[in-house]
Amino acid sequence: MGMQNIEIREALRQAIDEEMTRDATVFIMGEEVAEYNGAYKVTKGMLAKWGSRRVIDTPIAENGFAGIAIGAAQTGLRPIVEFMSWNFSFVAADQLISNACKAYYMSGGRFKVPIVFRGPNGAAAQVSCQHSHCVEAIYGNLPGFIVIAPSNAYDAKGLLKSAIRSNNPVIFLENELDYGDKMEIPTEEYLVPIGKAKVIREGKHVTLVSYSRMLKFCKEAADELSKRGISVEIIDLRTIKPLDIATVAASVRKTHRCVLVEEGHIFAGISAELGFQIIEHCFDDLDAPLVRVCQRETPLPYSKFLEKESLPNTARIVAALNEVLA
Amino acid sequence: MVVLDTALLTTGEKSATLKVGSEPLKMKKKGHKFFPSDTKKIIEEIGKSSLIQILKEMLLIRHFEMRGEAAYQQGKVGGFYHSYMGQEAIQAGCVAAAGVNHWFTTTYRCHALALLLGTTPNEAMAELYGKTTGVAMGRGGSMHMYADRLLGGLAIVGGHVPIATGAAFTIKYLNQKNEASFCFLGDGAVVQGAVHESLNIASLWDLPCLYVIENNQWGMGTAVARAVRVDPIGENLAKAYDIKSYTLDGMDFFNCYAGFKEALKEVLTTSRPVLIEAITERFRGHSISDPGLYRSKEELAKTMDRDPIVTFKNVLIEHKILTEAEFEEMDKAQKEIILASMKFAEESPWPDPIVLEQGVMAPEDK
Repeated sequence: MGMQNIEIREALRQAIDEEMTRDATVFIMGEEVAEYNGAYKVTKGMLAKWGSRRVIDTPIAENGFAGIAIGAAQTGLRPIVEFMSWNFSFVAADQLISNACKAYYMSGGRFKVPIVFRGPNGAAAQVSCQHSHCVEAIYGNLPGFIVIAPSNAYDAKGLLKSAIRSNNPVIFLENELDYGDKMEIPTEEYLVPIGKAKVIREGKHVTLVSYSRMLKFCKEAADELSKRGISVEIIDLRTIKPLDIATVAASVRKTHRCVLVEEGHIFAGISAELGFQIIEHCFDDLDAPLVRVCQRETPLPYSKFLEKESLPNTARIVAALNEVLA
Repeated sequence: MVVLDTALLTTGEKSATLKVGSEPLKMKKKGHKFFPSDTKKIIEEIGKSSLIQILKEMLLIRHFEMRGEAAYQQGKVGGFYHSYMGQEAIQAGCVAAAGVNHWFTTTYRCHALALLLGTTPNEAMAELYGKTTGVAMGRGGSMHMYADRLLGGLAIVGGHVPIATGAAFTIKYLNQKNEASFCFLGDGAVVQGAVHESLNIASLWDLPCLYVIENNQWGMGTAVARAVRVDPIGENLAKAYDIKSYTLDGMDFFNCYAGFKEALKEVLTTSRPVLIEAITERFRGHSISDPGLYRSKEELAKTMDRDPIVTFKNVLIEHKILTEAEFEEMDKAQKEIILASMKFAEESPWPDPIVLEQGVMAPEDK
């Protein structure tokens, strides 16, 4: 099998390109995806290859183009909508919340909505209060959505391909700071299934669950503990909804301790849901209360110093691990 | 006349154009350029049997709304109930002129369009009753009716307009000749951002979409002049988006038919969107819980003098296509169909709670 060492943005581009080749109803639309080659260059070269029929620049009108894409999905196409930032999806919230995730059920199964909304989620480099929110807890609260958040190029490509082939609306969360992360991945086509978490490091003393960019800090924290002879099992959720609680529960039953790390806020967040499900599934297996490491309860501030304090980081994760191991 | 007085107080010199709901429709508004139509010619074009069929459908809608409201009052129907009574000529005229092979999207006032597009009275009534035999399996209710080409029955004001625009996008993307997307919206929706974004993009991208503002004079209890600055709405807005507009007398089936026919021809020939404003006035409150205290009995009586069904019937009688006796018989037959649909809905089973959580996600391809 051939291998290639590519960035996440290229893995995403390949996924879109391959699916556009496979299925003529797949197209991509969004702000600056065509002539500008993408705000973060995920769609670089795609206009030149596919033309303006299938690589479509939109006006700055998220509510309009998100709704248009949903209408297109209901009538036979498979749109990929790029949000330049997931924070701009709030302008389109009515379309996502009232139409995308409800149309199939509300119509008694008559109109499915095969669509992917994708773009960078959460904090970037000091983009401040209105450009840094993590949206997974908001959209995860709505029945009808699939929520995916890959952490590396391999999963990004395989999961995006699965998302495009899905018959349901997918919230696909990327990370601006990670687009340039490189990884060896196969040149041959492959898919990563939706709804499957992955144990990315085996361990026996404590389980550490996270997804997306926060896994970097989780790995650093685990490295630090390993110096003291403590082995940390790390799980990458990969898909947030549907949640693969079975993989998490199996690990917790083995280690009896668990720390949950989430870039987003602590109140009603993904780790709140995951933590409760762990309690529902393996309360008797736990030897210590669960501990969460999340974003502090403020809009994410601009100052580099404050931003770092607010987000989960390696030191806070190490402290949480120590707490459950004490 | 309470409403007009309030409007005068709040909008000062613009009061000259505010005499809405007090004069015969065509006289009401200054500057409306109504689409010209020739009733005699249209009668010949449509032909006797089709005209009779259309009248039957309008009567079916009227009886459906009357009985649906009655069922609501008896507690058989819940939620919100928005009646289409008084506006029948518009959607009946549209479907008669265009046929059903297009995409259609409308608001929560959606019973009529569903019936016109092939939803049976049984399916529609059972949906109101929340039964498993309903057109949306009892999951949608009054505000969410569907048909094979009806994307809803969508109930966020203005929020359905991008969806209809998306259907037009598909038609263009797949190069489907002879198809268009019809989007019905109320006068209250035209001030929503989603409508502005849709009209701009549809014009920018040459999408074959017909936006139909059914101006029924009221956004819930707010008179249109208290919510929308421009008047006429369609003719003014169309200029801003560089598209054609058509103003129709929404109480006159023949004018609606002619206008929709011409507008659709324009869209199919040019692949440009158009904006239609049909001037009408609903007979009922915004929804069933609205007693309509903002509108005087005299105003309502004047509107009801131009009942689109009675007007249509009278034209057919005048042209010796129909007799009063035949009309009575037809009316009775349509009423019977609706009564039977109530019996069907009543006797239909409730959805099984076992399936409650099924169908949230569409099945995936293997």
